Amino acid sequence: MGKDETSKKRRKLNTSSSSDTIKQIPVDVYKRVVEFEETEAQLRPADKDAVLFKKICQDIRDLFSDIVELKAKDTEEAKEKINAKRIEASLHLVALKKLNRLEKVRTRAGRDALHKEKQRVDSTHLLLQNLLYEADHLNKEVTKCLQFKSKDEEIELVPIEDFYKNAPIEISRQEVTKTDEHQLQLARLEWELRQRRELAGACNELVASKERVAAAIAATRSRLEALAPHLKDVLKSTKPLQECLALRLDEKRDEARAASLLPPPLFLLYANGSAYSDALGAKTVTVGISGDEDDARRLEQLSNVDTELVISNDSDSDQENNDEDRREKKKRHHRSSKISKEEKAEAKKKEVLRKHPLSVQVSVKVADGTALNLIFSYLLHLKIVVVKFTVSLPKPVTGVSAADVLNGHCILNELYPADTGNDSPHPATAYLLNNAGISEDFHYFIPEVGRPYIWAQRMCGLDFMAAILDKHKSSKVIQPSQSLSVTTVENFILTLKKRLKSRVELMKELQDLESGKIISVKGNLPLRLSGSLTQWQSVGWPEYSQSPSTANLIAESVVNNNDMLYRAIITRQSAKLVALVALRSDYPKKAPIFSLTLHWNGTHHSGINDDIRDIERMINTQWCSEDNKQTTLSLQMTKLLTYLDILLETTGSSEFPPDKVMLCPVRGRNRMKPYKFLKQGTGVFVQF
Amino acid sequence: MLDKILYNTVLCQTFSRCGKYLIAGNIYGQIAIFDLDRILNPVAELLTVDFNKPKHIHTLESEKQVCSLVTTEKFLIVGSVNEISGWDWKGFLNFKLNKPSWVIKMPSHSILEQIDVNSLWLSEDENRLYAGCGDNNVYVINLEDGKIVSTFTGHEDYIHSVHGKNQQLITAGEDGYVLLWDLRMGKSHNKLEPHDNSKVSRPDIGKWVGSATLSDDWIVCGGGPRLSLWHLRSLDAVTVFDIPDHGIHVSFFHDDCVVAGGAAKHLYQLSYSGEVKVELPVSATTVYSAILRTQPHNVLTIAGSSPEIDLCTTFNYRDQVLHFR
Repeated sequence: MGKDETSKKRRKLNTSSSSDTIKQIPVDVYKRVVEFEETEAQLRPADKDAVLFKKICQDIRDLFSDIVELKAKDTEEAKEKINAKRIEASLHLVALKKLNRLEKVRTRAGRDALHKEKQRVDSTHLLLQNLLYEADHLNKEVTKCLQFKSKDEEIELVPIEDFYKNAPIEISRQEVTKTDEHQLQLARLEWELRQRRELAGACNELVASKERVAAAIAATRSRLEALAPHLKDVLKSTKPLQECLALRLDEKRDEARAASLLPPPLFLLYANGSAYSDALGAKTVTVGISGDEDDARRLEQLSNVDTELVISNDSDSDQENNDEDRREKKKRHHRSSKISKEEKAEAKKKEVLRKHPLSVQVSVKVADGTALNLIFSYLLHLKIVVVKFTVSLPKPVTGVSAADVLNGHCILNELYPADTGNDSPHPATAYLLNNAGISEDFHYFIPEVGRPYIWAQRMCGLDFMAAILDKHKSSKVIQPSQSLSVTTVENFILTLKKRLKSRVELMKELQDLESGKIISVKGNLPLRLSGSLTQWQSVGWPEYSQSPSTANLIAESVVNNNDMLYRAIITRQSAKLVALVALRSDYPKKAPIFSLTLHWNGTHHSGINDDIRDIERMINTQWCSEDNKQTTLSLQMTKLLTYLDILLETTGSSEFPPDKVMLCPVRGRNRMKPYKFLKQGTGVFVQF
Repeated sequence: MLDKILYNTVLCQTFSRCGKYLIAGNIYGQIAIFDLDRILNPVAELLTVDFNKPKHIHTLESEKQVCSLVTTEKFLIVGSVNEISGWDWKGFLNFKLNKPSWVIKMPSHSILEQIDVNSLWLSEDENRLYAGCGDNNVYVINLEDGKIVSTFTGHEDYIHSVHGKNQQLITAGEDGYVLLWDLRMGKSHNKLEPHDNSKVSRPDIGKWVGSATLSDDWIVCGGGPRLSLWHLRSLDAVTVFDIPDHGIHVSFFHDDCVVAGGAAKHLYQLSYSGEVKVELPVSATTVYSAILRTQPHNVLTIAGSSPEIDLCTTFNYRDQVLHFR
């Protein structure tokens, strides 16, 4: 029952309080109710409500069970009791409802509180994040600052010792800087700055003075330039004087300038040649340069063009040529293409045989005024030196054969043994020509370009022997050798002078011989000669080689077609002696070779007649052997006449009365005639 | 100047006794020794370019022409100008030439007179040497002591050749006479004059007789006059050989044949009746020496005015050419 009371009380209380609030604030009842409920829920402890709730639920369960028991009795009394009980249970349900409501309010309040707390935590976390980021950034800044390099570190400063030594006290401030590194650095920087300022000032000053000097120089130069025309005038005015005094100052200057444009081989030749010209005097040797200097200058500018390039170009065009050939074969009737091809080939030939525009002229003179002018040219592509020549004579030569002797090639032929100048000494020439599509040998072009004598190459310092030895690189560029040129030029000039001199002498002799005169020689021979020279003329190789008398000499290769060949005819009464004379190129170093044919009582020559053979032996093998005196062609001719006399007189024919004194006309098993002259008494001829 | 050897003239040749060597002398006083063994039986491996050149060439001190050569068992006898010298074989075959073993000077009458020893003939059984000389005399030399035993005078010009047989000596001279001498008497007892015989003489070439040789019954001689065969007893020209030559310098008998050479293009082998049996072409312009040997090989060498010496082993054609240069 007590329960009931308390619940009643509570209900009363509840109702009373609720009625109070409604009364106090009639406008906002709901709000007040809500507030009240909230405070009530706050004030009442939740666990007590829970206990209460459980107790009420138990009460209700008890009431239900009582009601069930009463229903079973089904009495009036019971019905009344049931009613009472029903009311009591309903009251309990109200209490339950209230409790539920309170619980709901409490739950909401709790949820709100949780939510609020959550928001606070969130904001705090955000704040933390911000702070962390800021800290990181600051850290980065700090490292950046730590890594910063100051400009002053790059400046090279004077060492500390020098700084203390040289800097003034107000800058160095030893008492501070000794301890403070930073101050020291500052002080040093300041000192540096001051010094640099001073130096900059000095530099400016110097620049200014330099400009002043430059201006002075420019002024002087302009004055000098103004002087040049005057000097030229002076030079011009000295020309008549130079001519008067026969000084070649101007020409020499010009030549020196031209010489610098010469290709290296010709320059060597020019340099050495002019040295000899100075040493021997202009009377014997003169050296000059001729040709177009402007061309040469242009060529020098183009000289960067490589040889290899030229070669490759050539090979390309060669192919082109071949193509063209083929094409041409297809359509022969096209005349125009043929002509253009010929022109092209002509142009190519010209290009291959192109000479350097400058050439060196060397002229060698001998005492009587005969001079040999040699023009040395350099073939740019074939890389050889070719020589052309002219001979100038003080007076014209009479006689055909005599003139031949002084013909240029004849003089230069075999100046050195086997150097005929008939083919290029450069081993690569044939290849180069072939490459350029030229089928002819170099020999073919000699009349056009000149002769490539070996001595000419050597004078220009080109030694192809070395190239031949180095056979793997036969087409390599050959460098002119200075020393070779020096020795060869000297040798050549002397040799050529000697050759020229002997040729002039020979020419005179031949002139006399041609007019039938034999100069009397003071020799070991009697001067009474009965035969006479009736003819002297030059003959060609075919005629010479066809004569039966020369077969032996040719077989022994004593004579070849480079020799100068002559025919002399000597007659005495009915006897006619034909002498074929071969003069070697290097006469008088080598004896003229006589080959005799006697027409008397049949034809006799050395191949069939021992007497003729003996005469030939006497003439051909006794050169220079007598008294060491230089024998000449005339002396040989005199001898020949004497021997002929002896031969004819020893035959005993009445046509030739004995005139010479002979010890015995024949001797020995070979019936030798007495060809040797002994000066005993009036002179006597003996065999040995 | 031409090398004078190109105009070499070989005047005489001889074989060594053994037949192994050919000796040749020329007008420059040079004597060449050819090794015939090497030339005739060449060993292919040892064959060099100069196999046909002399083994040695010796030059006489006087450099006077070597006119004649004769071989004895011990010596090579060289007839030069004014002297005859004997050389020991062994020493002579050496590379270096020593002094001669002996020298016989010719009795010359003046300094100017020079006596060529043109021809030598050795009489084996007498051991005497007969030298036909340039002073028209034949000197008889005893090889025992090297003295001149006697002098045969009779020729009017120098003597070209000397040959002997059966106690007879025959000489041919520049004077055109062929004289027959009795060796025991030392006198000329017979005389041929080929230039007087109209069939034989050739006046355009001369009357000189270059060679005369004896056999048992015959004489063959020739020179300016034609080559001719004379009967020894009757002294008649039996056969006049018709060969195109301009002078005979060599003639001798061999195997019933006459071998002759001279200024002609060939060396001839002729029968006694005058038929040409063999024509051997020769290198020399004029043949001055042709010598023949059958032991141990058949060898005929022909030399003359040429640096070449022709060598025949069959006597029928030219086998090889030796170079004396």
